[in-house]
Amino acid sequence: MPRILAAVIIAVATAGAACDERLSDVAGPTANLEPTFSSIQRDIFQASDAAGRLSCATCHNPNGGAFRQVGLDLASEGAYNSLVGVPSAQRPGVLRVAPGDPDNSYLMHKIEGRPGITGLRMPRTPPFMTDGQIRIIRRWIEIGAPRN
Amino acid sequence: MTHPRMLTVLALILLLTTGGGTARAQQTAPPAPAVPEDDPDLDLSFEQPDFSLITLPTTLRVPRYKSAFRITHRFGRPLGQGDFGDLAGDLFGLDSGAQIGLEYRFGLMRGLQAGIHRTSDKTIEFFSQYNVWQQGDGRPVGVGVLASIDGTNNFRDSYTPALGVAISRTIPRLGALYVEPIWVNNSNPEPEELVDDNDTVMIGLGARIRIRPTVYLVGEVIPRVAGYDPGVTHGTFGIEKRAGGHTFQLNFSNGFGTTMGQLARGGVNGDDWYFGFNISRKFF
Repeated sequence: MPRILAAVIIAVATAGAACDERLSDVAGPTANLEPTFSSIQRDIFQASDAAGRLSCATCHNPNGGAFRQVGLDLASEGAYNSLVGVPSAQRPGVLRVAPGDPDNSYLMHKIEGRPGITGLRMPRTPPFMTDGQIRIIRRWIEIGAPRN
Repeated sequence: MTHPRMLTVLALILLLTTGGGTARAQQTAPPAPAVPEDDPDLDLSFEQPDFSLITLPTTLRVPRYKSAFRITHRFGRPLGQGDFGDLAGDLFGLDSGAQIGLEYRFGLMRGLQAGIHRTSDKTIEFFSQYNVWQQGDGRPVGVGVLASIDGTNNFRDSYTPALGVAISRTIPRLGALYVEPIWVNNSNPEPEELVDDNDTVMIGLGARIRIRPTVYLVGEVIPRVAGYDPGVTHGTFGIEKRAGGHTFQLNFSNGFGTTMGQLARGGVNGDDWYFGFNISRKFF
């Protein structure tokens, strides 16, 4: 009997391994999006997606109007240094990305369209990011906004 | 995990269980007795009249080759919504939608049972329990080992396995107390890349107290002590009446969960309580 019981327990435990939901289901129109900076920069900042969302770098590039207004460049390798730990130009008391604290990160305020933001919700022209895309960016900030 | 893989694993469990039992039977089975064996598992237990407390399992054994059926209902109307007239007008929640569960369990061999529980949110749970110890003969408690796995979308998505131990202490003719530490894997429905905790360790605490010859008070709380713990601690209390092989239970809970995965996700909140009932029937 103990042998049978052990077999049942092992089988059930094996069954449970690696049965999480897929991140791609959450990521929606950016199926490869992950909570890493390199992925966010590649799939969100620098690329449009299948839902018709414009890339952030359309305006936030060294030659774009948004860069001239707020000094945020999301097109280049310097994007990380422009975001993490840097005060927002529109609300200098709030960091653009506060590592570990998405609720106090102005990037989240802007893409979620929270009350109190200066200017428009981003992206400037709908469609906005999906809840899943926002969730993945939030997670990157939650885990400390690593440069990965 | 893919659906075919899950079916393979379940088939493996069944094969191991039945295969082992056959082998044991071949090794030790005596000639068929002329008189049917008096199986003590067939006897009524005043302390543990049913296989479940409210949502937690008891250590009552299903007799070999016998079975039992259970229906669970949790009505969706919070009892505190509106005044008493509103509540009575909705017949205490019975006019609202409900989360309904259907359950069947079977005694595979002495002390080993397995079953299936499906709830109306399309979650299916397969469970098994092996009673390692029976209280008595110098053993102060009864002990059962639990294993289960539930999956949403009719067992196609979000598989949540659980392992645990049910420890009972019966008080002769009065009732029983339960402590049930349980580990639930993949309790968080979100992808693992997006969560801090994907497991829950919870401790089910419960009691069944006999207040009349066939009437019991029941109660349980299931605090999460580690891991993923959204919502509030799941709690339920109720009253039940045993009538022959039936048990009729009216209960009040702060959540709708009846599978291990659902229980690991906790109650809805601390202010809303919901009316519900369980009906069980033993087929022996």
